[in-house]
Amino acid sequence: MTGPTDELRAAPGGGRELPERWAPEERDTLPGVGWAWQAITGALVLVLLTLHMIANHFVVQGGLRDYQQVIAYITNPIILPLETLFLVVVSWHGLLGLRAVIFDFGLSARAERIVTRVFVVVWLATIVYGVTLLAILVTRP
Amino acid sequence: MSDSVTFRVHRFKQGDAASHHDSFEFEPGPRSTVLDALTAIRRTQDPTLTLRHSCFHASCGTCGMKVNGREVLACVTNVRELGTGEVTVDPLDNAPLVSDLVVDMGPFFARLNAVERPLVRESELVPGAHTASGIPQPLRYEDCIECGICISACPIAATDPEYLGPAALAAADRVREEPRGGDVPFVLGLADDPHGAWRCHVAFECSEACPSNVDPAGHIMQLRRSLIGRRWRALLAQPVEAGR
Amino acid sequence: MTDRTAPTGRTALPDATAPSSARRRGVAGWVDVRGRRLGGWAFILNRVTGLGVLFYLYLHLLVLSQLAIGPGAWDSLLKNWFLNPVFLVLDVVLLAGLLIHGLNGIRVSLVGFGLVVSRQKALLGAFGTIGAIVLLIGTLMFISHGG
Repeated sequence: MTGPTDELRAAPGGGRELPERWAPEERDTLPGVGWAWQAITGALVLVLLTLHMIANHFVVQGGLRDYQQVIAYITNPIILPLETLFLVVVSWHGLLGLRAVIFDFGLSARAERIVTRVFVVVWLATIVYGVTLLAILVTRP
Repeated sequence: MSDSVTFRVHRFKQGDAASHHDSFEFEPGPRSTVLDALTAIRRTQDPTLTLRHSCFHASCGTCGMKVNGREVLACVTNVRELGTGEVTVDPLDNAPLVSDLVVDMGPFFARLNAVERPLVRESELVPGAHTASGIPQPLRYEDCIECGICISACPIAATDPEYLGPAALAAADRVREEPRGGDVPFVLGLADDPHGAWRCHVAFECSEACPSNVDPAGHIMQLRRSLIGRRWRALLAQPVEAGR
Repeated sequence: MTDRTAPTGRTALPDATAPSSARRRGVAGWVDVRGRRLGGWAFILNRVTGLGVLFYLYLHLLVLSQLAIGPGAWDSLLKNWFLNPVFLVLDVVLLAGLLIHGLNGIRVSLVGFGLVVSRQKALLGAFGTIGAIVLLIGTLMFISHGG
């Protein structure tokens, strides 16, 4: 018995094979993983940013820390790892977001891989810069 | 006082360097639709005006177009209710332009075919057939009238030519929900792709614009939830299989 | 039944990148808000605030290098620039951006995981209200700091 859907499947363009541009072997990472990371890092950023904003701007006289206050703040053994983690996570979230915006232009799999690698380098450079800055301030006599 | 409305209609013919708008005057009655106006303009003012239409009652989905910047079915869009003395009519976006208000629906239909759209329930048409398990009564297919409005309204379809698109993803989710003989892993393989369900950015424009309440964005989100679930199950099942 | 295993050839989707598809809107399809609804506004605001905040992040990191120079450099920057009313206005803009992006981010994450999908509009309304209240409180605090 032939049903109407069979006729449609037999119609031009109704074949069942995976269209070429959706071939899984072109994939760099599992689809959706970037999106999940964005949600996870986003949640972390929300928590860490709230702490950062309250500690640096809302509980401080005048709304901003002067040099001595900054040093006192970041040399706190709880704050230092939290601010370092904030740097790592917020730069990841931000760069991953920009990467998603760029990917929305429908890049080729090869172009996507290049963009990803460039962004990993930028991310690592950001962390090196931030950690160096923190190290200078924390170790300054 | 004249009740005439000016229609600024998008014009383009193959070979034209660029498109432009032509103005036509039309005096609408209280129940005149945009499609009434356009067919009248073609009949009495410019027979070269091309547009797609068929049923005149929001069933065939062929008269999807942009009226005053928003995607609608022209056949159920009342001219007076628009409340503007000038009505701008454009073809749908994010589809190849053929002529005037006509776009090529080929890429759109090909995507629907690729996900084995459950177009019409065979149980409706085949005497004695049973409904799919768990379904209390047969309904017509998912209400999608294949008008292409969702693709036009989607911000992501505006930049990613490979995006599977709202209608096809909604159809894929229906295959997941009710396979009816469909090849579920194959269809989910299409959807579980950077250019599939994961490309959506949750603007919900497709669901808002859909004239048939298909809610493609809602289906895309359900599809994602299902894809995540499948991946977790696969991940958890792996060590068990490896131990065998 | 039709033989569904019959070789139909590899499905070639019509090439949507062909020149005939010149009507693909491009970035205009993201930023042109004419005819768009609330969700479309949320999408573009999320994108604009995201890019804006990312730009601010790197600007912020660059400015923090003044701390490495020494107390004098940082404290004069503070006194001469950051407590200026213009900067306080920019702080309000930044806070608004963070609130829009953060709260919409929660909505997009929940809905994107297939949760509260049918409630996404109510979520937009609720988060919009929360954001407006926090922005108001924040602005008042900025004003009190400036005064």
